[in-house]
Order: sequence, then structure tokens, then C-alpha cells
Amino acid sequence: MEDVLTELPPPSRFFQEDLDNFATPPLPLQSPSLLFSSPKPDQPLRPSLLVIALSSPSLYVLHHISSKTLIGSLLLPEIPFSGNSIEPSLGDKSCNIYALNEAENLTLLVLVQCPVSAERSNAVAKLLIGDQIIPERVLILDSVQSQNFRGKLAPDETYVFKLETSAERKGLDGNGCGGSSLLKGLDYFPSGSVLDGLAAALLARCQMRKIRGTLCVSWPRHGVPVVAMVKSLLQRNVLHGFDLSSIGDAKDKSSRFTSIKNYPFDSDMYT
Amino acid sequence: MEFIIEEGKSLNNETSTLILPALSIGNVGQLAVDLLVSSTRAERIGYLDDPYILPCVGNDAYGPTPCGELALPLEAYDSRNNGVALVQQRSPVVKGMMVEFAKNLADFAVDTGMKHVVVLSSLEFMRLQKIDTSSGLQIYYLSSANADGTDDCCERLGWKKLQEYNPAQRTWKFLSTLAEGNVMQEDSLPFEDEPEDEDYYPSLPFAALFSCFKAKGIRVTCLLCYCSEGDNTPEAFSLAEETSKLLGLSLNNPHGEGGKWLIPFSWRTVYGPPPDTSMF
Repeated sequence: MEDVLTELPPPSRFFQEDLDNFATPPLPLQSPSLLFSSPKPDQPLRPSLLVIALSSPSLYVLHHISSKTLIGSLLLPEIPFSGNSIEPSLGDKSCNIYALNEAENLTLLVLVQCPVSAERSNAVAKLLIGDQIIPERVLILDSVQSQNFRGKLAPDETYVFKLETSAERKGLDGNGCGGSSLLKGLDYFPSGSVLDGLAAALLARCQMRKIRGTLCVSWPRHGVPVVAMVKSLLQRNVLHGFDLSSIGDAKDKSSRFTSIKNYPFDSDMYT
Repeated sequence: MEFIIEEGKSLNNETSTLILPALSIGNVGQLAVDLLVSSTRAERIGYLDDPYILPCVGNDAYGPTPCGELALPLEAYDSRNNGVALVQQRSPVVKGMMVEFAKNLADFAVDTGMKHVVVLSSLEFMRLQKIDTSSGLQIYYLSSANADGTDDCCERLGWKKLQEYNPAQRTWKFLSTLAEGNVMQEDSLPFEDEPEDEDYYPSLPFAALFSCFKAKGIRVTCLLCYCSEGDNTPEAFSLAEETSKLLGLSLNNPHGEGGKWLIPFSWRTVYGPPPDTSMF
């Protein structure tokens, strides 16, 4: 049972510092940066599709695509490298950028495996979209945030929703030509619920820059069924030219991507 | 702060009044702006991109049937037949950056030719010195019309000036200095002693907005009501109603669940889903 004394207030309510003009602002951080491997790719990069994975299921699926090539990384000065392995690993605290080439179409994958605070999200979003990387289309993969969801989420059922920018909904590319939605057939995220953090910053940036963007959120945050669902979604709608069938469904019980009970307990009481 | 106008949209040249919420207890200002946007059938004309607002996205908040139109943290609406613009804020400001955020909003108001800004907010009920239950929810106000914060228009509507406004009080003075850009906000407050009761009101977001708009020479009126946290939609209706009286808004809606007010679609789940009754 939750402890009412230490329980976080529901998200629609404010902390006192949220309503204090004179609260001490956070210490300024060095700006994040993009680092590309040698030889440095032509800049800006103009992928036909930029896929940004934030959720555990999407990270699992994309990590196991063997034909991707590591081309760079997004560096957040506040995230230490200690503990990271030499070869990219799902356990690393990293934000690596990979290239997938399908015929003449460049697809970039960004696997965000480190926490990005809400205050940093706008800066990271600006770095990933619209400056050194100018994508034609963006797909963001995240999980439903139960604390911001105003409906019911059964832990033993899988859900998937989407939100799209106006350009994506109208099916417009840069030439004003029509085109179909990237994730057809998915329900829109219900009105009254919200998503925050990096996923929101990325989609908002797409909307304001008139880029075709889709945010796909799945539930639950972990588990074999949701990994299978995300894999199927990507295979059917996004990565047609790549065979994802060889990627297992994360049946390894030791993996934090399978078991809900292995999900880190994020209470401030235990530090 | 960048004002990004949607394709094919524009701000009406006749629009000279801006309504916006201040973050406050119970989200009352934001709920009131929701009602006003929905009921004046204001059209979204663009977004405000500000580095000090935290990100959020959602599906269309107003309906009648949300069909995937994105809702972003800071949106600008125009109600042409009423000559008012509205800005809705859906997420908090980065801690400690409220005054900077308020300055950016004030610059936006200047750049778009606004002559009058109406700020909607609520105050914590525990702070109310004297409870008067005789006449329902009392509306308080603060205006830049006079140096002492009074405004004859507001008095005629039966509102009471916020007694806790004292431009000579140290924190109100410090806030005014910050708003005018005469000092950098390097420390939280230039006073070493513990904050007093008098320091509370100028520490609130509505005070930052009031001071920054006033510093730019824009007429500003703050509408305030006291409340506790809970279901704050009644307070939102009251604030929206008083705003409508102040500005003479035209609300042409058929009588329905909210009377002349068109209740936003997103309000159906504003306080979460109904409880699970299967256990009974």
C-alpha cells in the first residue's frame, strides 16, 4: 500500500517550488552535443526516417537489429560513462545513433538508454531534430506514463496509441504531396491524458517545424507481450526491408525488459 | 519565446485583449481558460515555443470528438468575434524561471499589439484572512490601472481589490525591479531573514505576470479566487463567468450540460477515470 506521507502528489497538482517565483533554479549544465564517428558524415544528415527509441520494448527490438551501423552518439555531460561497455550494450547509459540503409533511403535509429530530465528535454530535442539532423519523417517510441494517463491500464493487457503532427495527419511531405500515415490503424492517445518528457519535446518540435512526426506509446512498460507487439508494429509499418523475425521476444527472465517485477523501484525513499 | 503561427492562420488585427492563466493551486486559471477557449469557439492560431516551459503533448483537448489534433504546452487562440486572444498553458515552468517566463510572455504581448492582459489565477484558501460566506465565491482583483492596484471597472463588478498588494513591500518591490530588468535574479531573494506572510503573494506566478506586463506598459488585470485543491471546476466556471462580464464576451452556445459554457471534451477525465465498481 502506498505511504500517503511520502507518496508523490498526483501530477495535476503542484509542488510548492512550482509556484514560487523565487525558487532556486537548477544549476546550469553544459549543453548536450552530437559526436559523429570518423569519417564524419555529411552534415546536416537528411534521413528519410528518424526513429527514436525511448521505451524498453523498442530499445530491445532495435538493439537487436544486426545490420545497423553505429555512426555517432548524443553526449549529455551529466551522464557518466562509467559502467558502459566497449561494444554497445542494452545495459549502457548511452544515447547512440545508428544508420540503417535501405536502398537509397537512410534511416537513423537513436537509442536513448539514459535518463533525460524534463528540463533537458527541449535542448535534446533541438539537437536531434532540425539542426544537424533534418529528417523527412520522425517516429518516437515510448511507453504510456501511467501517472499521466486518465484512463484504466490493466497490467496484463497490452495497449498501443499514437499521436501525430499535423503534417503527418494530413499526409504531407515537404513538397505538399499526399502520403499515408506511418502507423495506420492505431487509436489516437485519448484526450485528457498527456505525455511529458523527451517524447513530448520531440513530437512538439516536429509539430512546430512542420515535420511529419509520430509518437507511438505502448503499455505495459515491460514484458514479453509488449515487446512482441512493438516488434510486429515496426516490421509491418516501418522497417519493411528488414527481417526482425530473428529477434527473440525477450524470454530471458533475467532481462529487465521482460519482467515487470524487475522494473526499478523509483521511490525517493530509497537512494 | 518564438510565436509560431499555423499555416493559413493569423492573429486578427482587431484583437487587442489577451487572456491567460497563471499557474496556481487547483489549476483554476488553466481550467478557466479551457472553458473560455471552448465556449468562445476560439480558433487555435499557433504555438509559443519557450525554453522555460516543460514539454508535454496530448490529443485535442476541446473536441467535440478529438481526432488527433495535437495539444502542446503553450498555445495561442483567437476569438475573432470577441476581439480577444487566449494563451493556454498546459505544463509547469522550469523551477526558478517564472520571472523570465513572464518576461517572455510580456514581450509576446507587446509584439502582437496587445493593449490589455487578463490573468486568471487562484489563491490558497488557507491564506484567506477573513471568510465571507454571504455572497458565494468572492472574486478578488489586482489592476495596473491605479498605483494602489484598484480599478473602478472591477469595483463596479463587485470584486474586491487584493488587500495583500502593497507596491512598497519589499518583495513586491524586488519583483517589480526584476520585471523592469534592473537587476539580475542571481539569488532567490535579497533578504536574509525567513520569508514572512507578506512575502507570500508576490512569490506567486500571477504576481510575476502582473509585474512583467505592467513593466512593459500594458494594462493588466488579475482575477483571483480562493480555493482548496479538489474538484476545482466550480471555481473555473466562476472565474470564466467574471472574465466574460469584464470583457463583454459573446458566448453563443446551445443550452447543454454547462449552460452557455461548452465543456471541453478533455474534462470528462480531468480527475481520472471513475472508480472500479466491480468489487461491489
